[in-house]
Amino acid sequence: MSTAVQDTRAVYPPVTRRTRRGSIFRGGNALVYGIALVVVAVTISPVLYGVISGFRTNTDLSRNPSGWPEPWILSNYSGVLTNSRFWGYAFNSTMIALITTAIVVVAGVMAAYPLARYEFRLREPLYMVFVMGLLFPAAVAVIPLFIMITNDLSIGDTWWGVALPQAAFALPVTIVILRPFLMALPKELEEAAMLDGASRVGFFWRIVLPLSGPGMVTVGVLAFVGSWNAYLLPLLLLRNDSMKTLPLGVADFSTRYASDIAGIFAYTSLAMIPALLFFLTMQKRIVSGLQGAVKG
Amino acid sequence: MTDVADEANAHPGAGASTATSLPTGAAGSAITLRAAPVKSRRRGMGSGPRKSLEIVFFVTPALMVFLVFVVWPVIKAIQYSLFSWKGYGPLVDFVGLQNYLYVLKNEVFQDALVHNLIIVVLSIAIQLPLGLAIALLLNRKIRGQGLLRTIVFVPYVLSEVIAGVIWRQLLTANYGLIDTVFSALGIPTPAQGYLGDTSLALGAVMVVLTWKYLGLAVVLFLAGLQGVPEDLYEAAQIDGATYWQVQRRITIPLLGPTVRTWVFLSMIGSIQVFDMVWILTKGGPAEATNTMATFLYSWGVERNLIGIASAASVVLFVVALIFALTFKRLVLRRDAIDYEPRKTRKAATR
Amino acid sequence: MARFRAGSAVALGVSVAMLLAACGGSSDQPGDSTAAPTGDATEPVTITWWHNSNTDPGMGYYAQVAADFEAANPGVKIEVEAMQHEDMVTQLESAFQSGNAPDIYMERGGGELRTHVEAGLTMDLSDVAADTIAKLGGSVKGWQVDGKTYGLPFSIGVVGFWYNTQIWSDNGLEPPATWDDFYAAIDTLKAAGVAPLSVGAADAWPLAHYYYYFALRECDEGVLTDALANFDFTDQCFLKAADDLKTFVDSEPFNEGFLATVAQAGPTSASGLLLNGQVSAEMQGHWEPGVMQGLNDGKPMENLGWFPFPAIEGGAGDPAAAIGGGDGWAVSADAPPAAVDFIQYLLSDEVQTGFAELNMGLPTNPAANSAVADPTLGTLLEFRDAAPYVQLYFDTALGTNVGNAMNAAIVNVFAGQAAPETIVSDSQKAAELE
Repeated sequence: MSTAVQDTRAVYPPVTRRTRRGSIFRGGNALVYGIALVVVAVTISPVLYGVISGFRTNTDLSRNPSGWPEPWILSNYSGVLTNSRFWGYAFNSTMIALITTAIVVVAGVMAAYPLARYEFRLREPLYMVFVMGLLFPAAVAVIPLFIMITNDLSIGDTWWGVALPQAAFALPVTIVILRPFLMALPKELEEAAMLDGASRVGFFWRIVLPLSGPGMVTVGVLAFVGSWNAYLLPLLLLRNDSMKTLPLGVADFSTRYASDIAGIFAYTSLAMIPALLFFLTMQKRIVSGLQGAVKG
Repeated sequence: MTDVADEANAHPGAGASTATSLPTGAAGSAITLRAAPVKSRRRGMGSGPRKSLEIVFFVTPALMVFLVFVVWPVIKAIQYSLFSWKGYGPLVDFVGLQNYLYVLKNEVFQDALVHNLIIVVLSIAIQLPLGLAIALLLNRKIRGQGLLRTIVFVPYVLSEVIAGVIWRQLLTANYGLIDTVFSALGIPTPAQGYLGDTSLALGAVMVVLTWKYLGLAVVLFLAGLQGVPEDLYEAAQIDGATYWQVQRRITIPLLGPTVRTWVFLSMIGSIQVFDMVWILTKGGPAEATNTMATFLYSWGVERNLIGIASAASVVLFVVALIFALTFKRLVLRRDAIDYEPRKTRKAATR
Repeated sequence: MARFRAGSAVALGVSVAMLLAACGGSSDQPGDSTAAPTGDATEPVTITWWHNSNTDPGMGYYAQVAADFEAANPGVKIEVEAMQHEDMVTQLESAFQSGNAPDIYMERGGGELRTHVEAGLTMDLSDVAADTIAKLGGSVKGWQVDGKTYGLPFSIGVVGFWYNTQIWSDNGLEPPATWDDFYAAIDTLKAAGVAPLSVGAADAWPLAHYYYYFALRECDEGVLTDALANFDFTDQCFLKAADDLKTFVDSEPFNEGFLATVAQAGPTSASGLLLNGQVSAEMQGHWEPGVMQGLNDGKPMENLGWFPFPAIEGGAGDPAAAIGGGDGWAVSADAPPAAVDFIQYLLSDEVQTGFAELNMGLPTNPAANSAVADPTLGTLLEFRDAAPYVQLYFDTALGTNVGNAMNAAIVNVFAGQAAPETIVSDSQKAAELE
């Protein structure tokens, strides 16, 4: 590996202080915790600023933008939580995000499978077609997309009308992440299955899918969070108030000339909770999922 | 990107011992299989037409959705770029490549391109060492490791709109939290505020972008770190290496594939960055923080010059493509994804 | 058998059509009746109506107005959509592009209207709404294209200086009549440590209003109208106005960080600064009191006064003219006639009076003038009605392309990044893309 290590051994006797496996990473001295604290502070404070601002009145925010709430009021948060429109928006957001995620994961893993484990002449070109989807700015594709969905396909103002294009735009990243993951599964698996008389489809169904669990969870979470935060596409496609998603609901707090800033902070703080919770519960599986992807 | 992963496979040391966990049945039969000599047979199961059918079956759902909702609108957008069109009524005013000439000769667009390049370089230069350092930190067995990882990832999960609104408040001149804290600490703050000063605005935007996207780098690197086998660390330890020597000689080189994947994603993201910049500055003040995407929006969509907006987006696409292809060529030289890689790789791992 | 049936069916159909045509003619009531006009709509008609009063009391008021009209016009159903303003603008754009525009929508007039007219999206109201147009008088000018009227303006305001009367009187100052007086006032305020003016430069248009006014004061009315209609800024007065602007910028009258200050969103916006006494004045439109009220949890600002843009010595423009604009109701080209009836109803004395009482804007129907409650807005109204003409904001008059280009150039001048002449040259260059 390195000459440095060998030199060390030659000059100094082996250090026997640390003997436990993996103990080179043991802990926490003060420096490590200190740095961790700084990282946490820098990362979280802006978010906390938003959350705390939700407890203020607009007058208070005007007089003293950077101070503590004075007085602390709960009406912004309670107002949002008791508003039935908020829960309606949350329901729509959830349904659309779930549909998007389902499409992305299923179609994504199905497409990544032959791109990973079959050999055929069109494999690389086909893969590049998907990758190119990553490169084009979505903002400009919106106009023709909108016309097509509302007029030609008549699925405007429905969950599917939003979920399908969102899934389409999430597919490139999904395939990019899933392909190496699927490629990493040893060739022996296929040969073994073949010996047992399984078909390729059966192999996919019974072996590949269960093994790609972590990978699918990864792309699923990324797709869910992406859909949860999406703004432009739902704005254009969801007209009816009963169909709107959470990001669109922010508009309820602004009129043409005025905005209820404190209310906006309260609303957005509450709106980010489901996405965060979802990520929290899945985060362990994400890490192992991405591990497969990047390491091969 | 994925070539990267295949590279990792080619490393005998890294790949072999930490394969994904297998159900015991398959592993068992795999082991048995190894012992017996394998007759060379046609690679892959099934014959030609059946195989094509299977491929079609698997790829079709994704391809259909993709073609209809991504490729077709992109083609339409390219069509619009050849016309002078306000977005309403019929598409009649064909102008050929005039829109492209306008965009490429436009000084504001050229500046925007430069800003994009600055963002690409700075993003990598700042987030790579920082992300690596934090990932190394979080790789140690300290208390609350899981919680720490989640916290670091929170800015990435936050919607761009919310993040932008909050940071705009924080960076307000004089009254914002940052200015207030800096003044209290005696640090001089710019007269126009960070977002209002034409020479500092891009820097301020970079700070916010770093805050937002560092979490992704950390999580990716952490994942890559998990893949480094413990035995290597043990061996080094026995040889008496210090912590930093271990990181320098073992960990970081083995993180190569991970880092390259992340650099690719970061590069593409930096070229396309729109939401955060738009909400913070709308490309201002006085076009100081314009990116190609904000140019496209403010000079194209807002002015109802759809042809120009479409032309700018095609240029953006070409720039991203050039970067992607160049990256693939220069950095991922070992192109292991070609038609017949398996033979060579299998030979390497035996 | 079938032929017999078909024949009688045709006869029936023709007579029904004739009946409808006859009834349709008599349903166009003159616009100055105070009750909702009744029509003989024998077929059920649905009209879609988009407006941007997305909070109460405006939202509730419009819902009531729609219900009243439906009650007086059986068979007519109005689908009301109240949207947040920016969202409405975005959705209108895509609605136009996809051919799904609502029957009744809000128009700001000027070049934006011209684009819609040229694309065949908007109905010509000159004949079908002639009475209301006559009642509204000169204010429809901004909603005309080639002499034909395409929108009925229902709220028009003018831009002027909103100031904190307390701060000004504390410094012994009175509203200035000329720019020399104003510069003197600015110096006094700065010497006293008060930021004279706030401006939401991050949104571009608040800064741009300064240039529009300088041009309005320097340019003769005819010259100005022609220039805006033909995108021709070669007249010297435009350059002169740009130089005036540079002088103004160099006097450094604004709050710190003005380049990044937004106009009205949030406590540190330009309006917020005025509200909290951190600046002494702000030049804004008629919505300013409403904005500040929103930032103050519903309480109006105290000590608020208003004065118009001062005169310029030697300027060719009328010193009493104003920059302003507002909103009008427009009808889609393929909307049913009932839609025209409805917008005339919206401009009726009754509806406009209610509109004014609820502070939803400055009414255009003269009958509703007395209903404006706020005294400061009353001052504004008097000034507006007394002005020889109200010039539509340049960016609206010029349309999104040239308008945005001009605004961007103006911001560059304020930021010290460009010479004043670029205002004219950039606008000219953008006009070539038309």
